[in-house]
Amino acid sequence: MAGFLARRLGAAAIAALLSSLAVFLIMRAVPGDIVGQMLGQSGGDRAAEEALRAFFGLDRPLWSQFADWLGAVLRGDLGRSWYQGRPVGVMVWEAFLVTLELAVATLVLATLIGVPLGVVAGITQGSRLDRAIQSFNLVGLSAPVFWLGLMLLVGASAALDWSPPFAWSGPQEDLADNISILVLPVISLAVLQAAAYSQFVRGLMIEELGKDYIRAGRAKGLTPAELYFKHALSNVMIPLVTFMGLILVQILGGVVVIESLFSLPGLGRLILAGIQGRDYPVVQGALFFVVIIATTINLVVDLLYGLLDPRLKP
Amino acid sequence: MTAWRLGLVLLAFFAVLIVAPGWVAQQSPFDLDPARALQPPSAAHWFGTDDVGRDVFARVIHGTRITLGLVTLSLLIATAIGGGLGIVAGFAGKWFDLAAGRLADMVQTFPPIIAGVMITGVLGPGAMNLVLALAVIYVPTFFRIGRSAALAEAQLTYVEASRAAGFTEGSILVRQVLPNVLPVLVLQYVIMFPLALQIEAALGFLGLGVVPPTPDWGAILEQGKNFILVAWWMSLWPGLFVLLSAAAMTLIGQGLREKFGR
Repeated sequence: MAGFLARRLGAAAIAALLSSLAVFLIMRAVPGDIVGQMLGQSGGDRAAEEALRAFFGLDRPLWSQFADWLGAVLRGDLGRSWYQGRPVGVMVWEAFLVTLELAVATLVLATLIGVPLGVVAGITQGSRLDRAIQSFNLVGLSAPVFWLGLMLLVGASAALDWSPPFAWSGPQEDLADNISILVLPVISLAVLQAAAYSQFVRGLMIEELGKDYIRAGRAKGLTPAELYFKHALSNVMIPLVTFMGLILVQILGGVVVIESLFSLPGLGRLILAGIQGRDYPVVQGALFFVVIIATTINLVVDLLYGLLDPRLKP
Repeated sequence: MTAWRLGLVLLAFFAVLIVAPGWVAQQSPFDLDPARALQPPSAAHWFGTDDVGRDVFARVIHGTRITLGLVTLSLLIATAIGGGLGIVAGFAGKWFDLAAGRLADMVQTFPPIIAGVMITGVLGPGAMNLVLALAVIYVPTFFRIGRSAALAEAQLTYVEASRAAGFTEGSILVRQVLPNVLPVLVLQYVIMFPLALQIEAALGFLGLGVVPPTPDWGAILEQGKNFILVAWWMSLWPGLFVLLSAAAMTLIGQGLREKFGR
């Protein structure tokens, strides 16, 4: 187990380092940096331009800029935003809490809808109910998440004469406001993930129910409830955990668009604004954070997999 | 099997729109007329008009070629580069396999949409940058598929036999391994299509896709979001077309998978 963990951690660290380097280089690969944006059209003043570049450290060789950044990150310092002057670590953390609330609420809702749908579809394979659930899966997987969000906005406004508040409030500030801001984004994200869940669980159930031990159990006189929920479902749990990790990473990506649509101050908006403003420390810090989170989720899933399946224990 | 047929019918419908959009939508997708801005759907404008008075039906129909064309092109590039490198890595192995594998890991540490936002955000909007971003995102997927297929193929007896018969490595790779790996790559292409389409639409919606006034479904949605509560028709139709074409490719992918027995 220790060897496996060390190998996985090593591979994850290399991937994180390489991707940080890629972000660093991509940001600097095209013309146009913060100095250009600050001076705008007034340009031509070479001295001011050079002074500003030196101030941001942009005049130094790339390798030394990257080494400085990496060294600071390893000491736990993500630097300061070039626009706001605030520590990037704090900005990323605040944005992460918004994204986390959105992602966890989505995961819970998607699991509550998707898993039962998949189980029912799997048990009643070929029935009209199964076909209805499969149609839901197809629509849920094919509909753009932000389009669902737009349609929900229209629907809520037409049917209930209601629109979510514009200004963000966190759960500690005003819980009622917080929930009414999040309800539409969470539903639009959850439909996609519920469909993915349902599709996946249906396949697992069908595979599991075709196995010999189910037939033996039926012959032994086990009730369908015991067969389905005690035996089949408990075997389905292992791949389900893996899938949950996959879904969580997908939600992390999906929030970028939804945050932009519903004006939520999460990680996606932070990254987007950082890229557009060429605020290198913010982009590098936020993307580093996202990569670490995504890698950690994958690692935890691998470990859980080993814990849940006794056969995989070394 | 009926689902598979529905997928083919939908695909044929989109094929017509791609080949002859002007035949379906008589009006121009570019003609502005502020006098008829934000009109709801009517006999003259089936999908209504947008904020500068363009016909939304014409824009959505003409957008088919742009949106589906860009996704098709990006995935073709990803398949050619990723699949090609994967086959070589799986067949030749050694340091090349190791290095390419690490690079694929690196790209895949980012959730796809975030990688897309980063690339198009830095390079700026434009069709070519969009294609580049989508291709980069999906190269690792095709690399892995091509690699594992070639790896399995390389161990089969016929490869050994060809080697004994004196064929060069290059000729075994191109003439014998490639044709056997190709169906796997084609299937993966169909499976990835709906996913890449969602990313394309999302980037368009974030304003990182094609440059206006090009009619692209994601870009129409981006424009429509500012008028969502006064002109829902600007957003309903392009999203519905994304949904239908993604569903078509998903159904075809499921059908192909059944046929291949995977």
